[in-house]
Amino acid sequence: MNKGKLLLAILLSNMLLSCNSNSNEVVVYTSVDQIFSEPILKDFEKETGIKVKAVFDTEETKSTGVLNRLIAEKDNPQCDLFWSGDPMRAIVLKQKGITSPYRSHVADDINPVFKDPENHWTGFSARARVLIYNKKLLPEKDVPQSIFDLTKEKYKGKVVIANPLFGTTTFHFAALFTLLGDEKAKEFLAALEKNKVVIASSNGDVKKRVVQGEAVCGLTDTDDANEALKERADIGIVFLDQKPLGLGSLIMPNTVCLIKNSHNAENAKRLFDYLISKETEAKLAQSCAQMPLHKGVSVPVNVPSLDNIIPMKIDYEKTAEKLNSIVKILEQFSRYDKK
Amino acid sequence: MRCKLCLSVFALFLLFVVLPVFYVFGDTVLNWTSLYNNLASFDLSNLELLLKSILIASMVGFISTILGVIIGFLIYKTNLRGRNFFKVVLLLPLFIAPYIWAVAWKDLFYLMFNNTNFIYSVSGMILVLTTVFTPLSFLIIGSALANIDSAMEESGLVITKFGRVVVKIILPLIKTAIFTSFVLVFIFSISEFSVPAFLGVQVFTTEIFKQFSAFYNHSLAVFQSMLLVVICMVLLVTERKYISGSPFLSIGSKGTTSKTYQLQSKNKYGYLFIGFWFVASILLPLIILVSQAFRNGIGILEKAFVLLLPTFFTSFILALSGAALIVVIGFAVAYFTFRNPGTEMKKIFDWTLLIVFAIPSIIFAISLIKFYNRPAFNFIYAGFAIIVIGYAGKFSFISYKVIENSLKQIPKSFLEVASLEGIKPLSQLWNIIFPFVLPAMLASFVIGFVFSLEELGMTIMLYPPGSEIMPIKVFTIMANAPQSLTSSMILIVFSITLFTILIFYLIVNMFLKKYYLPE
Repeated sequence: MNKGKLLLAILLSNMLLSCNSNSNEVVVYTSVDQIFSEPILKDFEKETGIKVKAVFDTEETKSTGVLNRLIAEKDNPQCDLFWSGDPMRAIVLKQKGITSPYRSHVADDINPVFKDPENHWTGFSARARVLIYNKKLLPEKDVPQSIFDLTKEKYKGKVVIANPLFGTTTFHFAALFTLLGDEKAKEFLAALEKNKVVIASSNGDVKKRVVQGEAVCGLTDTDDANEALKERADIGIVFLDQKPLGLGSLIMPNTVCLIKNSHNAENAKRLFDYLISKETEAKLAQSCAQMPLHKGVSVPVNVPSLDNIIPMKIDYEKTAEKLNSIVKILEQFSRYDKK
Repeated sequence: MRCKLCLSVFALFLLFVVLPVFYVFGDTVLNWTSLYNNLASFDLSNLELLLKSILIASMVGFISTILGVIIGFLIYKTNLRGRNFFKVVLLLPLFIAPYIWAVAWKDLFYLMFNNTNFIYSVSGMILVLTTVFTPLSFLIIGSALANIDSAMEESGLVITKFGRVVVKIILPLIKTAIFTSFVLVFIFSISEFSVPAFLGVQVFTTEIFKQFSAFYNHSLAVFQSMLLVVICMVLLVTERKYISGSPFLSIGSKGTTSKTYQLQSKNKYGYLFIGFWFVASILLPLIILVSQAFRNGIGILEKAFVLLLPTFFTSFILALSGAALIVVIGFAVAYFTFRNPGTEMKKIFDWTLLIVFAIPSIIFAISLIKFYNRPAFNFIYAGFAIIVIGYAGKFSFISYKVIENSLKQIPKSFLEVASLEGIKPLSQLWNIIFPFVLPAMLASFVIGFVFSLEELGMTIMLYPPGSEIMPIKVFTIMANAPQSLTSSMILIVFSITLFTILIFYLIVNMFLKKYYLPE
């Protein structure tokens, strides 16, 4: 009898702990690094009184843990809102029927390029793909200015990129395939392979290898580059292909989307509006050098303006679709450097 | 009566832990279209990867086991000075996640040789995994060595030389432990994902992860995981065939007096070996972590502590609950098989516990999500219960084996006499069985606590929104935090784990002395 009561008490306490229909909360899953996303979510809590319950992702799972969790939870969603560090994950969720459309008027002045035409996701604060180089190992005059320079003989075995099957590197390669066409892009991959480009486990690993001098230069994201600078690493940053009519640099906005059939849809919309606001963009510019998509957001001097960067002219949806057709090619390419 | 209770515990384990796995496996196998697609996707390159993984895991198992024999012998069977110190410090790699060791090893190679080519290779992976899992081999083999009855060795030494005693008496007596060490390290190595992923070595688990994370093909990922489980089962069948009924892992050495060999002039060689292993496998990587943590002064350590502070309570409660459940399941299953040896039920217990143990963590987590994430089970899924269920699934196998072996060491005559005297089973359990298996249960508890506290692969998929758990916090922060902050957090987790084990050891020691081991 006593054992039965104890079991019942445990079950009840767990039920109380697990109760997720509280109207004054919102559940958010995010692939954005916790060190940057958590302060924003805490500010939202303070300003609105709505409790934010977050699930963060790890580098160890290539930041795909929460995405897979969302897919696995599709039939009984626990999450209300997904905040992604790039458009690709949001598009995957849209393709799998997990997101719900929402048009926020806060995003009215954001360039339509950074928004889903069907309002399943909205972009804000962007990162860019950049080249970082070790200033001690690479003189200014030898720094590559185009992504195609990485296939030159003088950089043989000295360039590092992250695994093209994961994260923003995947999207970068998909964008190249979209812009160059399959044949030219395949030639580029073959040239990289021939030039023995090193494949690291992540963008963070790329940063570390360049900072330590294991590689002279590498492709990574602006937030990783900015972190290296904060740690006083002796590196330089280059936006590639910035000549007129050049390919341009890949710009990757954060994206936010609502989850279909979520429990706290109204609170999720408030958080959605909050995340894409100018205030959040200003905070992200301050903490991780992300570039605002709204006009007139004050940013630190080290944060470049999108107005001064030639972007890759891509359609994010089409690039994501392209990714589906080239993922086998990327898989083949990623294997060449495997031991 | 007691066996009925044990069966009930196992039935609950089947219901809450095993059923979700079988549900997802069944869903994968019984869906003909997906089965056909999965079989069609399995090509020669997959087979090559599978063989490569088996080879690497075999190498790690083999080397770790050999090192475990040598280190175990030096520490448990000789008068090597400082052996009690080494007995503890050589276990340290078990308290830090393999991924962290991989990062530390890579940094160490860069610092020492200004070159990391070796570490980013199959050899590097074998090196890292060997340093991570050798403590497990040393623990298993060392405890077996400590339990050898000295009379057998001394009889042998009367008629022949030491070398022959080792080959003809000691090694045959510990062959179970040797095989067990190999099997466990093999299973841990073949299902390890984070180390090969970081070192850029392509193995079968990275292939599974790729299906999961790059292609979002959960069905194929589950199918491939089943192949890993099959390999582990084949290994267990082999184990059963050759060492059926022999002890698995001995904790405690009641009733035996182990012989201690005098090293004398060879003491320095023993020192050299143990010292080299200690410096190379533990001290240097730890120095790297410490130097990174303090590179920017003590302030970073403070910041790391503040970041981790909110995680302490939840993490401890979860790890304690997990460890307690693991011990209960381990004891219930071991006690049932002890009372009913050689039955079909024992085989069922073995297989089910092994299957859940051998599945990669992420796939196990997906199974739990797919089974429990429905409104009727929300009270489990949306709370912490799902994580504790996960811990029970992942680590009960170890606990079961540790306790099962301890039970095997109870002299049958004790229980027979007790039964003839009319002592009730409950009284036998309390007065005879518990004093014998208590050290094993406590060891299981500590192992369960440490493994639960540092579990990441499954916890990241299951932790309730808004909660803060220690390994999750470390790994989510490390993605873009300065190296000094990451290393500081790792050191804090490491120190807290050690401190908790020390406190636990003191409490248990006091308890044992008072109730079970009076002077």
